[in-house]
Amino acid sequence: MTPLLALLFLLVAATGTGVALSRNPKRQVLAMSANGMALALLFMALQAPDVAFAEIAVGTAAIPLLFLAVLASIRMDHGPHGTPKE
Amino acid sequence: MSAATPRGMSPRMRLVLFALAVLAVLPGVVHVAGHMPQFGAHPLPYGDAINAAAPPERHVTNMTSAVNFDYRGFDTLGEEFMLLCAVTGVTVLLRGGRGEGTAGRPGRTGHRPVLPRTDAVVLTARAGAGVLLLFGFYVALHAMTTPGGGFQGGVILASGMLLVFLGDGYAAWRRVVRSEAMDACEGLGATLFALCGFAGVLLGLPFGQNILPLGTIGDLFAGGLMLVENAGVTMAVGGGFLVVFIEFLEETRVVPGADER
Repeated sequence: MTPLLALLFLLVAATGTGVALSRNPKRQVLAMSANGMALALLFMALQAPDVAFAEIAVGTAAIPLLFLAVLASIRMDHGPHGTPKE
Repeated sequence: MSAATPRGMSPRMRLVLFALAVLAVLPGVVHVAGHMPQFGAHPLPYGDAINAAAPPERHVTNMTSAVNFDYRGFDTLGEEFMLLCAVTGVTVLLRGGRGEGTAGRPGRTGHRPVLPRTDAVVLTARAGAGVLLLFGFYVALHAMTTPGGGFQGGVILASGMLLVFLGDGYAAWRRVVRSEAMDACEGLGATLFALCGFAGVLLGLPFGQNILPLGTIGDLFAGGLMLVENAGVTMAVGGGFLVVFIEFLEETRVVPGADER
C-alpha cells in the first residue's frame, strides 16, 4: 500500500466518523458529502475512475441535495394537510 | 428483556448485550480477516477473462461497458427498469397532491428572509454548468474507449443542469429543465435499451445479440449496438435524476391551490 492510499483510507475513516458524530442534520448532510468526496478520491487512487465519477456526482451532489430539500421541506410552515401554507 | 422491564432496557443491560455480541462475532471476524486475499490482489478469474476476450470480440477498450451492455446486458435491462420504477414511484408520491404547475413561490421557514444570490454564486454556477455539461457529454460519448459511460455521463449531465437552479434560481431552472421533456427522456431511454435488447430476439438470435457492425477498436464509434444502448442509458439516467431533482425541489415551494384536489 502506497502512502497516498494509506492517507486516503485515513481520510475516508475520518470523514465517515464525522458523519456518525454530527448531531445536527444539516451538518450531517455536509459531512456525508465530504465523505463522498473522500471516497471518490480513494476510488480514483485505486484506478477505478468510472466508480469515482458516479460517487462524485451521486454521493457528493445528488444525495446531499435531496436530503437538503427534505430538511427544508420539513422546516417549512406546513398547513393542516401537509402542504405548505401561505 | 424480561417481563419486569417491558419498556426498553437500561444502558448497562445494553452494554452487556453488546459485549456478548462482540464475544460471539469476534472469532469469525478474526478468522475471515486472517484469510483475506492480499490488498490489491484479485484472485477471481472473471476480470482477466473479460480483459482477454472483450477487445478482440467486441472491439471496445472499456471492459465495464462491454460487460454492462453486452456480456451482461440482460442484467442491465433489469437495472434500467428498477431505475424507471424508482423514479416513477417518487413522482407518483410527490407530484400527486401538487400537480404540475410552476407558479409556486419559495417556501419560508419561520421569518427567515429569502436572500437573492450574489454575483459570485451566479457566475460560478453558470461557468460550472457549461464545463459540467461538456464533461458529461464527453464521459457518455467515450463509453466504449475510456472509463465512464452512460450512467456516469447521465448523472454528471443532471448535476450540471442542477447548477442552473443554484445560480439562476427557480424560474430559470423550470424554464430550462422541462418536466414533461425529462419524463419522456427517462421513459424513452429505457425503451431504447429494451428495444436494442429485443432486436436480436426478433431476428431469432439471443437477447442483446450485437447485431450492428462493431467498427475499429479504439475508435469513438466502435462497439455496434452497445453505442445505442449507451445512448439509451444516458437518456434514462440523466432524465431520471432530473425528474427526481424537480420533484424534490418542488417540495420546498408553496403551491397556490394545492389543497383543492
